Amino acid sequence: MGAAFVALPLVGLLARAPWSRAAAILSSDSSRTAFRLSLEVSGLAAALDLTLGLPLAWVLARKAFPGRTFVRGLVVLPLVMPPVVAGVALLAALGRRGLVGAWLDRAFGLQLTFTTGAAVLATALVSFPLVVLAAEAGLRSIDARLEQAASFLGASRWYLMRRVTLPLLGPQIAAGAALAWARALGEFGATLMFAGNLRGRTQTLPLAVFELSQTDPRGATVLALALVAVSLAVIVALRRRLLTP
Amino acid sequence: MSLRVDVALQREGFSLEAAFDASVDETVALLGPNGSGKSTVVSILAGLIRPDSGHVELDGIRLDDVPPEERPVGVLFQDLLLFPHLSALENVAFPLRARGAAKVGARRRAAEALERFGMAGRAGARPRDLSGGEAQRVALARTLITEPRLLLLDEPTSSLDVAARARFRRLLSETLRTFPGVRVLVSHDPVEAMTLADRLVVLEDGRVTQAGTPEDFRRAPRTPYAAELVGVNLFAGRLERLPDGAGRLVAAGGELTVAWPPQASDPTEDVLAVLRPADVSLHRECPEGSARNVFHGRIEEIAVEGTRARVRLGTHPALVAEVTLGSVSRLGLAEGTAAWASFKAVEVAVLLPQGTSTGTLVG
Amino acid sequence: MRRSATATFLAVALLATGCSRADGGAPGTSTLTVFAASSLTGAFTQIGKDFEAANPGTHVAFSFGPSDGLAQQIESEGTADVFASASGTWMDDVATKVGVTDRADFAKNRLVIITPPSDPANVRSLADLARPGVQVVLAAAGVPVGDYARQVLTNAGIAKQVLSNVVSNEQDDAALVAKITSGEADAALVYSSDVTSAVSTDVKAIPIPDPVNVIATYPIAVVHGTSQPDVAQAFVAYVTGPAAQATLASFGFLPPG
Repeated sequence: MGAAFVALPLVGLLARAPWSRAAAILSSDSSRTAFRLSLEVSGLAAALDLTLGLPLAWVLARKAFPGRTFVRGLVVLPLVMPPVVAGVALLAALGRRGLVGAWLDRAFGLQLTFTTGAAVLATALVSFPLVVLAAEAGLRSIDARLEQAASFLGASRWYLMRRVTLPLLGPQIAAGAALAWARALGEFGATLMFAGNLRGRTQTLPLAVFELSQTDPRGATVLALALVAVSLAVIVALRRRLLTP
Repeated sequence: MSLRVDVALQREGFSLEAAFDASVDETVALLGPNGSGKSTVVSILAGLIRPDSGHVELDGIRLDDVPPEERPVGVLFQDLLLFPHLSALENVAFPLRARGAAKVGARRRAAEALERFGMAGRAGARPRDLSGGEAQRVALARTLITEPRLLLLDEPTSSLDVAARARFRRLLSETLRTFPGVRVLVSHDPVEAMTLADRLVVLEDGRVTQAGTPEDFRRAPRTPYAAELVGVNLFAGRLERLPDGAGRLVAAGGELTVAWPPQASDPTEDVLAVLRPADVSLHRECPEGSARNVFHGRIEEIAVEGTRARVRLGTHPALVAEVTLGSVSRLGLAEGTAAWASFKAVEVAVLLPQGTSTGTLVG
Repeated sequence: MRRSATATFLAVALLATGCSRADGGAPGTSTLTVFAASSLTGAFTQIGKDFEAANPGTHVAFSFGPSDGLAQQIESEGTADVFASASGTWMDDVATKVGVTDRADFAKNRLVIITPPSDPANVRSLADLARPGVQVVLAAAGVPVGDYARQVLTNAGIAKQVLSNVVSNEQDDAALVAKITSGEADAALVYSSDVTSAVSTDVKAIPIPDPVNVIATYPIAVVHGTSQPDVAQAFVAYVTGPAAQATLASFGFLPPG
């Protein structure tokens, strides 16, 4: 019954999709542009998540400091927060009149909203917890004595990190990055709020689905299915390559 | 060549003040209960912890300001701790690479080291695909690849089962015998210490409480821990087959009957046998029953520990028995009086030199 | 224990969803479901209250949203008694696919330019939207207010330049107003009825000359298949009557015709 609960909406999409027009819809300019932009945005978002998330995960897993529980809660927040709220929060912080955004605008004439960068930031924020949680869990599962052994064998901190910790963490990092990437690929609310919706600049695949549904709701199901297919491919690949020991 | 250690260190809730020496012609065992500061000493020797004061001197050179990667120290860890994501060859090359050696040279030297340990054919294998014995050889090769002048064995056998322990001990004693430098064994296992080391240094609560040969300890243990340490009856000698199928161990101090290990050849030299004091029964009269080993001798010492007493007997061989205080009073045992001691042949754990063993051994 | 708690939760959830559609009051009352364009939110909420006061025992439930979305919902679910659209196009769509009766135009709306009060891009007229660097937000094509805006720009002959200044295609007029009140964008094209008293201090409205402006006509009709045609007809009549017309005027709408 649980499986049916998940499968039913998917079956609905399949039943409603106008298959005769599928090729035309998928190969249309706007779809291809959205596809390319989605891959770009989600890839950059996953990279940003890794860059910011791995050091944070390391600190959370290895350093005891006051407020660690609070920081960990804060990190998980984007996971449970409605994406639209994340978008509003980003506007309040980095928007043209936001706390930091106003200063960026004044000092550098830099405006984030309505840019591809904003789409990357919004999707990165929403998918960030997945990287941190996966990497932190991975760090905790590493036998600390292996790292100590490496030090005894003469490894510097950097060599230890590069040659022992990161390789041991590899599968978890890959799993976290793939999940974050898939989440970024499907991001809608925060992107729409913070980055807007403009073809070629901020219109990612989910936003293209939304815009197409205004004029061609049945055609939009084809695009939606394409999105589902990509997400499904990620999950299946994950299960096969990483989630099985 | 020698090692001189004299260090002090103060941490929250713990202080260490340890001084001991080790010379090149002996293996020193650093023994102590958990939390006694053994692993801190290991870290200090390896250079990962800097003592508050004092020195570590190897071959007359002070190591205090030498960083870990430049110290001529090789460590063999409990559980070996081979890196699971690296091949056997990469594991062995790791210390060289960590010290900045070029890849090609490091791999060539690692391959040579593996060959010396008879592991040339397993260079590409991951640790999880190695047998226990193969993993031990790879770990030893990794420890020795930097040609250290101080070899540190950190609880090398304590997580192994009895049979594997005996096999590894054989490999270790060979390694120790041929190693051209100072050898220090860190352990909390008295059997391991007494079979591998020539001299014991006992560390308790961060202090060295006693140092000396096992015989020194047996004659005059200075702390309860040390007494317990040598409380194990350990015999060494030649194993012969008896006509009835049992075995006889001819040790320096006397002979005892043991169960014949199926793998043993007749006779076998250099056999070790261990007997727990609690397995030795004491009697006023010559006991009747199934016990094959019955000895008569004077009670040299009765040491009371809680509700139990350790009784040292001047039998041949000398024995230590552990009995309840109730037995002491019921049998009227007293120092200087004579008593009978008995134990069954199967209570004696026999350790064969070729790496097989029988019986149960509680270390 | 857990199972019964789950069952209770499901039962409550089902009741709750049932309630939102069903007669929400005592016996003898009836609920009229009205789907209305989101630009009508303020005016229709007031008109609904007035209608209930004038017809005791009648309850009006509104679902506000983009006209295109509402039309699709009516076509696939058929849950509305009355449909009030912001464009004839979507009313035609429903009329063809579902069928409507008592159709009447009840209001008109025109477009205005709104900017933040500080007017960062110095927008004084429609032509200023074509100036390079002005950040314009429009509703997406397919949304009535988005289609009207593009029509206005075409009428003024500046469609190409202004569309290249568009930084985002939003989902409805409410989202456009939000982008202006938050100061993220420089200008937007919305209905004059969007400049309500609630936001009038947060935006500056700039009129668009009638010759190029688009006057949106709002049709209302009873949806075919309603279970209470009498109440539905009464509501449609009320909306075209003098009391509701006065309310619509106070919310910035123009009279029909």
